[in-house]
Amino acid sequence: MIHRLVMGAAALALALLAAASGAQAFDDSEYPNFKGQWRRMPVPGVRGQISFDQHKDWGKGQGAPLTPEYQAIYEANLKTQAKGDSGEWLGISCLGFGMPIMMYGGEPIEIIITPATTYILLNWVEHGRRIYTDGRDWPEDIEPTLQGYSIGKWVDTDGDGKFDVLEVETRGFKGPRHYDASQLPLHHDNKSVFKERFYLNKNNPDILHDEITVIDNALTRPWTVVREYQRNAEVRPAWREFICAEGNGHVRIGNENYYMSADGLLMPVRKDQPPPDLRYFPWAQK
Amino acid sequence: MNGQSVTRAFILAAALLMAIGSAQAFDDSKYPNLKGQWERFVVRGVPGQPSFDQTKGWGALQGAPLTPEYQAIFEENVREQDAGGLGLGADHARCVAAGMPFMMVAFRPLEFIVTPETTYIIIADYDPLRRIFTDGRDWPKEIEPTFQGYSIGKWIDTDGDGKYDVLEVETRGFKGPRVYEIRGLPLHRDNQSVFKERFYLDKNDPNLLHDEITVIDNALTRPWTVDKRYVRNPDLHAEWPESICPEYNANVVIGGENFFLSADGLLMPSRKGQLPPDVRYFDKRRE
Repeated sequence: MIHRLVMGAAALALALLAAASGAQAFDDSEYPNFKGQWRRMPVPGVRGQISFDQHKDWGKGQGAPLTPEYQAIYEANLKTQAKGDSGEWLGISCLGFGMPIMMYGGEPIEIIITPATTYILLNWVEHGRRIYTDGRDWPEDIEPTLQGYSIGKWVDTDGDGKFDVLEVETRGFKGPRHYDASQLPLHHDNKSVFKERFYLNKNNPDILHDEITVIDNALTRPWTVVREYQRNAEVRPAWREFICAEGNGHVRIGNENYYMSADGLLMPVRKDQPPPDLRYFPWAQK
Repeated sequence: MNGQSVTRAFILAAALLMAIGSAQAFDDSKYPNLKGQWERFVVRGVPGQPSFDQTKGWGALQGAPLTPEYQAIFEENVREQDAGGLGLGADHARCVAAGMPFMMVAFRPLEFIVTPETTYIIIADYDPLRRIFTDGRDWPKEIEPTFQGYSIGKWIDTDGDGKYDVLEVETRGFKGPRVYEIRGLPLHRDNQSVFKERFYLDKNDPNLLHDEITVIDNALTRPWTVDKRYVRNPDLHAEWPESICPEYNANVVIGGENFFLSADGLLMPSRKGQLPPDVRYFDKRRE
């Protein structure tokens, strides 16, 4: 009788083991809980529009370690904007921000972890990022994009058998890209490399850190900031549908930016800006 | 000794049960394998641009059961497009979201991410994505109208094998205007459309995904059902193109009029005899 009980219990244990091995296709308890809606953490007293180092004012307040050449380019950008023009700022015409602005949380962010890929749903001008964690190597050719190509690796830093940090490297960019809307520039060679570490705050699991280091030829040294996001306590938060082109009053024709007036007509963005070249409307020429 | 063995065996069994309980946070083997890159299934010989019923040509060839009122709206739009305008496709040409059902046409490849609470469809084109909530929630009291609508889904095990094989989805809460495809086949402007969808893998080919869509809309004389299909790309590391609509969009809409951008970046008419945009807000002294 006792022998049968032992055998029965052992058989049950084996059956459960077998079931578990079949069921453990994806054990998400091995990963940190990034679920929910993440919002940009505003820092009181910081001035200007959203910035790379969210603890400092935008633009010059960032103290970006720009090379003299790119400091001069930045100063020229500021002068262009002072005249009312948006210069080479792509975001204004919904042409995309790319890295790093896309990570600023202009709209709430959602992060989905799967063993092969971590998805960052941005819901903003850029829709999302894919961070490949399937062990792949860098492709021989990367099609340049504003968001770049991201390879990540989950790390168990405290040896507790669970991953706690996602390390990411991103390369393969196109441009022009900036750090903020003041047009603090990245190098036009688009050789930037971003190294990121995503992890939950040890004292508050509802704060997510994205420690970003930028290696860029417009900088005199790598520039590291720690960005923070706050988890929305709402279990079923609303997700706004953000469509950049909807209601956007900016129009780009050739290399010139214009506004649309409330009555639907084209307006200049700076004093003395000429109207668009209308040579392809010969029948309308005086 | 025997008593100790029994106790140890039961402790082992209990420990395994507990381990399974924590490990089975998400057992994705219960769900169909929707992983990978899904491309629009192309039906050869079908004329026009990608359409709602992909087995038929776009526009009038769809045979949409439109009410007489909406048939007239559609025909007026076709006349405008034939004259060089954008008709009811104007918003889409300005890179405004397509919304349902146009967003499911898969101009760019789709990706499905299945989690117990939500199935995500990454569209990353004009429209960003869809969230289909499968966490058992009820309809919210108020839905903020969107082009994509609000989707609630339920996984079903239709053949009783212990695994889900069909995702049933209902979508409501729209804004517009929305069209079925760029030829301007319209949905009703009251935006009261309801979509019922059934997503499932083809029984004979797991690399073929069906989205059986039924549209209930006041511009239709009856519900309209089509079976949209997507084909899985066999490349496990398939490339995902970055799609930024204004980057490749040559349409410029100014004051309700559509113009083109020429290759040299200048404004061009989109139809014969079209007047240029009104530039009254520019300083005449410069001319």
